[in-house]
Amino acid sequence: MNFGLIQRSLREVWFASLAMSGIVFGITALFCYAMPRVQARFMQRSFIPQGVRQFRDAIFGGVDSTGASIAEVAFAIAWSHPLVLVPILAHAILVQTRVPAAEVERGTIDVLLALPVSRWNLYVSETVAWLLTAALTLGAMYGGAYFGAQFIKPEIRDVATPDWGRLLMVLVNLGLVYMVVGCLASLFTTLIDRRTWAVLCTLVLTLFSLLVSFLHTIDPALEFTKSMRFMSILDYYKPLAILRSGEWQVRDMTILLSTSLTLWIVTGVIFARRDITTT
Amino acid sequence: MATISINTTALTRTYGSRRGVSDINLAIPAGSLYGFLGPNGAGKTTTIRVLLGFLRASAGSASILGMDCWRDSHRIKAEVGAIPGDLRLWPWLTGHSALKLFGRIRGRDIVARGRELAEVMELDLSVKVRQMSRGMRQKLGLILSMAHDPKVLILDEPTTALDPLMQDRLRKLLRARAEAGATVFFSSHTLAEVEELCERVAIVKQGQIVADSTLSQLRAQAVHEVMITWKAGVMPAEPPACLRLALRTNEQWRGTLASESETHLRELLAFAAAQPIADISISRPDLETIFMRYYDNKEMVGA
Repeated sequence: MNFGLIQRSLREVWFASLAMSGIVFGITALFCYAMPRVQARFMQRSFIPQGVRQFRDAIFGGVDSTGASIAEVAFAIAWSHPLVLVPILAHAILVQTRVPAAEVERGTIDVLLALPVSRWNLYVSETVAWLLTAALTLGAMYGGAYFGAQFIKPEIRDVATPDWGRLLMVLVNLGLVYMVVGCLASLFTTLIDRRTWAVLCTLVLTLFSLLVSFLHTIDPALEFTKSMRFMSILDYYKPLAILRSGEWQVRDMTILLSTSLTLWIVTGVIFARRDITTT
Repeated sequence: MATISINTTALTRTYGSRRGVSDINLAIPAGSLYGFLGPNGAGKTTTIRVLLGFLRASAGSASILGMDCWRDSHRIKAEVGAIPGDLRLWPWLTGHSALKLFGRIRGRDIVARGRELAEVMELDLSVKVRQMSRGMRQKLGLILSMAHDPKVLILDEPTTALDPLMQDRLRKLLRARAEAGATVFFSSHTLAEVEELCERVAIVKQGQIVADSTLSQLRAQAVHEVMITWKAGVMPAEPPACLRLALRTNEQWRGTLASESETHLRELLAFAAAQPIADISISRPDLETIFMRYYDNKEMVGA
């Protein structure tokens, strides 16, 4: 690990990370303020349309929400809604497609590789810088949730405020999803050398993964989604299950952690061994 | 015997079916100023990229200071200063912040030396790279490549965008580095600047080294140029075997001696003495002409 390189990377991404964290903070705060009220109204109804229930189950990773409290459902929705997940995952893709692809396109890779640092050292330093900005972005999500919850109406505050410790566990689960996407982006950027293509490939794969989740929840009989279910990233992200039980989703989180570690190591090996130049 | 600083043996690098460089053999002694000459696309940058560990050699080997250019690349770079052919720097850097950052990455303070070099190169270190002209960026790149007083300097067309005054200052700086024992590997496509700086030169063409010698050897090896002007209305005889003609008209012949052997020179003089010539010139070509011969390698009109 080289502190100079970490400093360089942070200088490159600080603005984008701050901006993205601000967006994540704002959206999460709004959701965590508004969702408990929406959920409280929803729970007064005797009938919830089938489509809404299916959509909810899909973003909960197939976890049944029957019997869950307002706070559990509201915060689980807020923490798995595409509007919240998109900027978080976009940050991972944005930061992780820089080296080498963006540096190759910008022509600065020759200067970077001419420094007396091994490729592995460069790769580790880039990862550390990424994880630091990830901590900022994910922290903004937690902070946004806490901030938004302060404005929940007093009459429902008791039932609409989550267990903050459990929400922290959800954050770890989401952090692992974020890591898988970031490592995938890093793999593509190392293989392709063109940032646009690396972003596109990661997006296509991530969207495909989300699509598999939704299709499977909407129609579990679909053969295609059955065989592809293992690729469904939301199946490994269970905010509602964690908020309800307060237990770590060990199997899912282990899968996410080992997937990201495998991707990280494979990418590192490729990055250290392949030819890299501007043209 | 001087220590070999940069060494390649049968170095070959291909890009799939495309030619890169093949069979490059270099043995550059420490403390020398070595020119690496060739036209665009000849393989100069490919060779440099292999030396700097950006590309892996397809065959053969390359080493700097006794270390393998691929395996020990990061250790080599601690002792190497390099500037790429098309230098790009991060736009948010200023000269000052670049010196601090590069020093931090290198693990040594290069700010003081960098400031000295900036004074010599007349560069304002407070300007951001994004506001710098191409020449200013090139100066900053050169400062960053020299500020840690490297043992080896690998410079890919370093005078690009520099005005003649700065080119001269750069040459002085490089000579001073060489006198201090550093090796300078200087790639260029113009002979004039290599001629002014380097003691030894390799000419690379279509991925292969076609000449590797000192400039004086290169001059000595060059065959004599011959120009014969015929008297008007005279039909010249058939040219002798010692003469290789590039131009042959009834008014004038131009070409070179087939070799530098004394026999060929005598043969030519004997031939000329018996012919109705108006004028004859036999001279050694200048370096530029020698260089262009290697570049062009035009087919001679048969003798």
